[in-house]
Amino acid sequence: MAEGAGGAAANGGSDEKVLDFLDSVDSYLTTMESLAPILRQGWFDLASARHSMGVFRVSSASLDLKDHSASTYLQMVGHESDDSFVGQPSFSLCKWASADNKSCCSEEEIPDSQLRHRGTSRLSENQEQNSNGDDSLKTVDDLVKKERAKTLSVFGTLVSPKLRTAQLSFETALEVLVEAANIRSSMLSAYSQVQKQMEDTREGEIGPIP
Amino acid sequence: MAGRAQIATKSSALIAMIADEDTVTGFLLAGVGNVDIRRKTNYLIIDSKTTVKAIEDAFKEFTTREDIAVVLISQYVANMIRFVVDSYNKPVPAILEIPSKDHPYDPAHDSVLSRVKYLFSAESVASGRR
Repeated sequence: MAEGAGGAAANGGSDEKVLDFLDSVDSYLTTMESLAPILRQGWFDLASARHSMGVFRVSSASLDLKDHSASTYLQMVGHESDDSFVGQPSFSLCKWASADNKSCCSEEEIPDSQLRHRGTSRLSENQEQNSNGDDSLKTVDDLVKKERAKTLSVFGTLVSPKLRTAQLSFETALEVLVEAANIRSSMLSAYSQVQKQMEDTREGEIGPIP
Repeated sequence: MAGRAQIATKSSALIAMIADEDTVTGFLLAGVGNVDIRRKTNYLIIDSKTTVKAIEDAFKEFTTREDIAVVLISQYVANMIRFVVDSYNKPVPAILEIPSKDHPYDPAHDSVLSRVKYLFSAESVASGRR
């Protein structure tokens, strides 16, 4: 009876791993499918900008080849062992970090002050902290605008509005790609667990060699 | 695993790109471009003159650099160096095959899906039943 219950629990656990793996494959496929229309919009806007600004202004010839750091990069969290990442690394996108202010200027970074003081009964304290939150949001917003404008300035002082919309499309595409990278990571982790389980099952069936 | 110290770490890293001009230009607009003091970039623009060797060298360089976490590669470019891409099996940097203007994304060619589809193949089912 106890062996039957243990066997049922083991089967339930293995089914869960298989389901996790299948879910992650499905999420990965769905995410990659959602990328195509976003990229298509970005290419279309870029082509429109090229049409209005001229072919030579919107081309690889305009790209900045002086040394500069990326404004948009990834924060990677993982378990490090012997100087290599093991297990399941996870990625988060840090958008528009300025050279002066190394912290992330991403719009996802909502200042904690605005969240921490929700539900406070004293209205004036709330209002003061809300205005502080608004100020820091405005600062983040200004920094993001500044970094976006700096990137666009590579193509000239006056740029087509289509170039700005192309920039937004590719930013969205980056967010989707980072999500895909995280799903890929969990898919590979689930795959290795299922594979290991299959090997253990086969070894268990073969049994010890006399 | 016992006795091996595993420390949760957080580090910043770049996104590398191997793609056509429009795709690379678009992502550079989003701020991912990086050029170091030695004028080494984190992207390679593919055109009609780019050789397969140059693509292979760029892929190997980006996958061995410690400051790169994700490599975006157009799937039609990945198909040119399919053997090299499929042989790559490290968790970081993550390789993501993306569509291009003239070549839509095909899950059948994606290297990570090719790796895991073994679990759905007849051989794996048959070996499990023996």
